[in-house]
Amino acid sequence: MDLSFLTVQVLSALRQAAFLFLISSGLTLIFGVLNILNFAHGALYMLGAYFVYALTLHLTGPAGFLIAILAAPLGVALIATVIETGLLRRIYMQEEIYQLLLTYALVLIIDDLAKIVFGPEFKSIPMPGMLSGSVTLFGGTVPVYTLLVVVLAPAVALILWYLLYRTKTGKVVRATSSDREMADALGINMSALFTLVFAFGAVLAGLGGALAGPVRTVFPGVGTEVIIESFVVVVIGGLGNLWGALIGSILIGSLETIGIIVFPEFEMSLIYLLMVAVLVVRPWGLFGRPLKVKALSEKNLAMEAQEISPVHFSVHPLVRWAPLLLLLLVPLFAGRFYQYLLTQIFIASLMAIAFNLLLGTTGLLSFGQAAFFGVGAYTVGLLLTKGGFGTLPALLLAPVVTAVVAGVIGFFCVRLSGVHFAMLTLAFGQLIFTVAYKWYGLTGGDNGIQGIPVKTIPLGGLGALDLGSNRAMYYFVLAVVWLSVELLRRFRSSPFGATLKAIRENGQRASFLGVNIHLYRWTAFVVAGAFTGLAGGLFAMMEKSISPEIIHWSKSSEPVFMTIIGGIYTFAGPAVGAVVYVILNSYLVAWTEKWALVLGLVLLTLVLLLPGGVVGFVNEKARQTLGKLRCIRKWSFSKSATS
Amino acid sequence: MVLLEVRNVVKSFGGLRALQDVSLSVAKGEIRAVIGPNGAGKSTFFNVMTGLLKPDSGDVVFEGEPITGMPPHRIIRKGIGRSFQITNIFPRMSVFENVQVALFSHHRTGNNPLSLARKSTRVGEEALALLDQVGLAEKYDSSASVLSHGDQKRLEIAISLASRPKLLMLDEPTAGMSRFESRETVALLQRISREQGLTLIFTEHDMDIVFAISEKIMVLQQGAVIADGTPAEIKANPEVRKAYLGEEITES
Repeated sequence: MDLSFLTVQVLSALRQAAFLFLISSGLTLIFGVLNILNFAHGALYMLGAYFVYALTLHLTGPAGFLIAILAAPLGVALIATVIETGLLRRIYMQEEIYQLLLTYALVLIIDDLAKIVFGPEFKSIPMPGMLSGSVTLFGGTVPVYTLLVVVLAPAVALILWYLLYRTKTGKVVRATSSDREMADALGINMSALFTLVFAFGAVLAGLGGALAGPVRTVFPGVGTEVIIESFVVVVIGGLGNLWGALIGSILIGSLETIGIIVFPEFEMSLIYLLMVAVLVVRPWGLFGRPLKVKALSEKNLAMEAQEISPVHFSVHPLVRWAPLLLLLLVPLFAGRFYQYLLTQIFIASLMAIAFNLLLGTTGLLSFGQAAFFGVGAYTVGLLLTKGGFGTLPALLLAPVVTAVVAGVIGFFCVRLSGVHFAMLTLAFGQLIFTVAYKWYGLTGGDNGIQGIPVKTIPLGGLGALDLGSNRAMYYFVLAVVWLSVELLRRFRSSPFGATLKAIRENGQRASFLGVNIHLYRWTAFVVAGAFTGLAGGLFAMMEKSISPEIIHWSKSSEPVFMTIIGGIYTFAGPAVGAVVYVILNSYLVAWTEKWALVLGLVLLTLVLLLPGGVVGFVNEKARQTLGKLRCIRKWSFSKSATS
Repeated sequence: MVLLEVRNVVKSFGGLRALQDVSLSVAKGEIRAVIGPNGAGKSTFFNVMTGLLKPDSGDVVFEGEPITGMPPHRIIRKGIGRSFQITNIFPRMSVFENVQVALFSHHRTGNNPLSLARKSTRVGEEALALLDQVGLAEKYDSSASVLSHGDQKRLEIAISLASRPKLLMLDEPTAGMSRFESRETVALLQRISREQGLTLIFTEHDMDIVFAISEKIMVLQQGAVIADGTPAEIKANPEVRKAYLGEEITES
């Protein structure tokens, strides 16, 4: 390895680190003060790049370029201020998942708006002549722009250090970051501080986008790639810790550069592997500390009571069986398209209900469910195409294999909670995704598996079950899903389920009842994983072709949506959410290209106005009105309970 | 008979010695107070005994068996219950469910994922009996988060009692209560201890309560035991007077 090569690579790594630092420093700052993991941070980065693009169309020359680079972050800050004061502020009292979801809805909305305003194509931003050249350094050719970025980022870091450690406002920010309650008690104006920090974090993201725009391309959705990388950086460094963001950026920047040279196939796997390794050894990141356990002071309890109430009437069994009867009759008058649509809904429902065993019942937000769905689907796909298995054995092995995988992953994840849990499941999920995506020998890589042969299922002396027709598949999936859902319902209504709820409500108290909370969480994780794997297996049978996209993290957000749409603290909610989601998806995609925008707006509305979800809302109303009439109450509801 | 024996426990946080060589011996059925000014190490001491913290050195022995450094959920199973200074319940579950879930854990029925919670009549009756004992039976159906502070504290005591502890550790059981609520709670604790032979260790700021119900009192100051004895001995102890109690004693 000669010096010129080394110089080029080191500078390339540093440039990468510089971009990462600009984005993740803002991300970590916002988390530290607002306690929100801002999914929309990547979208703000994208806006920074687009603003530079738009400005350089009108402003030419080096001076115009400089003005654009400086003005773009301010524009981003303006948008961020509107977001914080208009939307985020309204849900600070909610559980953290709602804040995460609101920012995720913003990603969908901003991405589609960018597509409308700037068009769907890739944009490149021209650099002024004096910056587009390159110089020779130690025999290696280095672009001038790289040098500029590598010098600018540390300068920004220095300014950041000065602002945080040498100014009064900076001290307030740090104090709030380390102890929010204390800062509140000291009479710091929290809402002004939150707006300031959110806008400032947006400036950093905007600057990152503005600087990266000219060397990377800009397109709608570019922020989504960036945000995942930044999540990795801040989680490795320790959420809320600026040093962590710096070291994390350098680590990831270097690893990416080395990865491209040494293991070009598995560059992305390496990053997630590092994240998993760090979190397994140091769950709070390299420089992070455990987040303070929310003390349940009286004030806090009163706040919780105003939130979504999990108290509800459980529905009379007869009411529960009516839909099944209806669904059994549907194929008699509905066509093949509707049968296919409903089959999709069944599978989505199973995935969402299994997911909600973790979120609603246990209080754990998993962002890696797509991985379990994928493991189940690939198990069936591989066993049928390469293993020569029968259909039923292959399908039955799907939840078994997934349970084993979930058991291993869960072992590491269940020690964490909240955002850390979400991030570790995300990392494991992406690790599995990158493996499926690149391991051509086994999984077919990005081609996936096509033409999965679904053989007839022998029924002993009763002949055989042929799943060739849509109708047969419809009934088969309905039977499997209904059985699984009934099992999951039983699971949740059992003493085990009650204990999971107790863990969600107050983990510390639960452990002082003698409950091994890690074991309980782990079991819930494995059960949720197994049923998600079964859903995946059904999916592979129905579609007869699978591709790694079903494992990508964006697929993991689907059960989250469904659950929020339907109702987090209801059992049937996720299934209702699945109906809404799948129908919206099938019709909107045909009707408009702006599917993400509509979905984002739906999600935003729900989070802000109907956080209990559709079923939660109906339940609440039913409890208020129907509950008064004794005869109806007696017939349609059994005793009140919480979920 | 000695139920709990703590021997020479030391615990430091960084440079700060929170507990220095603390020893304690509690007999079965005894009501023991642990007092001391703020920051004396009472909560640390409780946390060490119930497994939330691991001592740097020293032993905690319960019924002749060392439990030092065991995780809380195992210590609870040995028969030590705990209630907390800050109300520590399951806020968004009903009063009934709060106790029910504690009973599931005690009877180990929580491990069975396929039985139905509401079908367990034995647990249901037991839960109602416990709620009756603390005077919350009528409110069994309301959400725990809407209870008054005093009721929440009582609910927490019911939760702690559900695991049928031999020893109950209460961290300021009357904190934040009105005078009336405090008196009721104290009477309740005394009654339970008498009826069931339950051993109590508690911390408390209200000296009236401490001297009214405890049989022995341990005084901590800056992490060290400065006195340990009967209420009369503690009242007479000049060091305690000087260090902590002073006027309050002379008043009463």
